[in-house]
Amino acid sequence: MTKRQRQPEPLDPKLKESLPQVNLDALIGAVRYEVDEDFAHLWIKDHEVCQGCPAKPCLAFCPAGVYHLDRAGQVMVSYQACLECGSCRVGCPFHNIGWALPRGGYGVAYKLG
Amino acid sequence: MTPNHRCDAIVVGAGPAGVAAAITMAKGGLKVCLIERGRLPGAKNLFGGVLYPHALAEVIPDYAERHPPFERPVTEQGYWLLSPDSVVRIMHKSVHYKTAPTGAYTALRARFDAWFAEQAVQAGVLLITKTTVTEVVRDARGRALGVATDRPEGLVQAPILVIAEGVNNLLTQSLGLAKGDLPPRYVALSVKEVLALPAAEIEARFGLAGADEGVAIDIFGDATLGLPGTAFIYTDAKAISIGVGLLLEELIVHNLKPYEILARFKAHPVVRPYLAGATVLEYGAHLIPEQGYDRMPDLVGDGVLIAGDAAAMVDAVHREGSNLAMTAGRMAGETALEAHRRGDFSAAFLRAYRTKLEESFVLKDLKQYRRMTDFLDSTPHVIGTYVDFMNEAALRYFTAQGMPKREMEGEILGLLRGRRSFFGIAHDMMKLLRGLRG
Ligand SMILES: Cc1cc2nc3c(=O)[nH]c(=O)nc-3n(C[C@H](O)[C@H](O)[C@H](O)COP(=O)(O)OP(=O)(O)OC[C@H]3O[C@@H](n4cnc5c(N)ncnc54)[C@H](O)[C@@H]3O)c2cc1C
Ligand code: SF4
Ligand code: SF4
Repeated sequence: MTKRQRQPEPLDPKLKESLPQVNLDALIGAVRYEVDEDFAHLWIKDHEVCQGCPAKPCLAFCPAGVYHLDRAGQVMVSYQACLECGSCRVGCPFHNIGWALPRGGYGVAYKLG
Repeated sequence: MTPNHRCDAIVVGAGPAGVAAAITMAKGGLKVCLIERGRLPGAKNLFGGVLYPHALAEVIPDYAERHPPFERPVTEQGYWLLSPDSVVRIMHKSVHYKTAPTGAYTALRARFDAWFAEQAVQAGVLLITKTTVTEVVRDARGRALGVATDRPEGLVQAPILVIAEGVNNLLTQSLGLAKGDLPPRYVALSVKEVLALPAAEIEARFGLAGADEGVAIDIFGDATLGLPGTAFIYTDAKAISIGVGLLLEELIVHNLKPYEILARFKAHPVVRPYLAGATVLEYGAHLIPEQGYDRMPDLVGDGVLIAGDAAAMVDAVHREGSNLAMTAGRMAGETALEAHRRGDFSAAFLRAYRTKLEESFVLKDLKQYRRMTDFLDSTPHVIGTYVDFMNEAALRYFTAQGMPKREMEGEILGLLRGRRSFFGIAHDMMKLLRGLRG
């Protein structure tokens, strides 16, 4: 396996500023779900690991905004909005996210896809 | 489902790979159980997307008479090189797309996969939905005996198993066939919106003559902030599919929200007019495995065959995946039929599946582009740099400014040299060529 050679060049701050605010709730509202109230298919394995995770990338890359901070700064998981893409499973730098498939029939249910 | 259900073959996942495998085996006379976790086949699936019927025809020769839910035939396709304020378009439109048998259709997966699975049911496949396979059950020597599901007493047994579980290949990993999970630099995260727009409006905006024409555009450059990735705009019958995909590692490193990148792309001055007044019908996200030929999982185990995204069968250069998946599923099905005839389900016998794939476009193409991921990975600036250059060069080229043309040409070269050294350019081109030629 080839190792990544480069250090990432930081993104031009102007590019970052050009990103618009998005009403993610409106987007998620357009998605159909069969919510499983009895089984959370995502969980934080150890909240202390998150305390020591400086960048907390899950808060940004999750396309459904499933991960957010509560008032105490603890990572909360709104598994109900999960689109089951799998990004957090492979993307958490500390592999601190427990990730299972929802039970059969539950979870996201695309009408178009 | 009866407890301890027994069949001749089990397929996990009713995507293109799994359904193609199931149909092939059922037509060959096997009793097939096709297990899908979604409430319906397709409920979990999303792509751009463009379907290539060549692979479908090999599974269902008379597919056209069965009215597949295609959106539009693709009669124009190509690339947009997008800079922050301009675009260079490289589009191909031809009457050939309309006279020859259609080579590509836009489609929506929840509809298409449901239709495809229905064809499997008609071929005699037992389709079991709303059922998640939790484990591959194996004997003491590691041979697959069947699968456990999350249904009560939901054990299903068969001497052969086709795993077509898609990019989140937990079962493939549990069998030790995939070496660990995908690193974020080899997987792209795409977000997509389907936007409602009346057919007449789509046709007017994209210059289409009617419902028998459609366009598929892949976009590079500013759409992904110049980072490795692509965006797409495809016309459906009464909707536009639009999305962006970036390597997950880029999102992580730069702390980016994918839906913000999509919103920014939608607001681009070149893109916005196409979307005016269109409302969001659906939003979604999906991963694309891009680890390439050299990092694919093993394709066979004792009593097991792996097909499609679960084995990273995606040609990211040509945004093909569903056709590779269908072809691999069919070949897995053919191999399972041969294994049944011989009564040999060992990995050694099932290797014939890999040989079939190597002789087909599936592994030939993947092999040819084996260096592409590393190319993008190690040369992340290429896209942004060259796309911006093309746009600036086009602006000079098309602007009459009372300057001798020779000087203008010199200026254009200067633009490029200002962005990248001569050796840098030569190096990029060499790597790109090597990546494309394999
Ligand atoms: C944004 C995007 C754009 C794309 N564009 C194109 C394109 O234009 N053209 C193209 O050809 N390809 C495209 N692709 C690639 C293409 O979608 C995939 O290659 C293809 O869907 C792979 O098919 P598959 O059958 O292997 O997997 P999938 O389609 O992912 O199917 C896997 C199935 O298995 C089920 N499953 C998984 N685990 C279990 C379990 N444990 N128990 C029961 N069921 C399970 C899932 O619910 C799913 O139905 C695109 C992909 C993306 C994400
Ligand atoms: S990325 Fe992982 S470790 Fe970091 S905050 Fe998120 S879940 Fe915790
Ligand atoms: S699987 Fe995807 S949508 Fe679900 S929580 Fe993880 S990153 Fe978010």
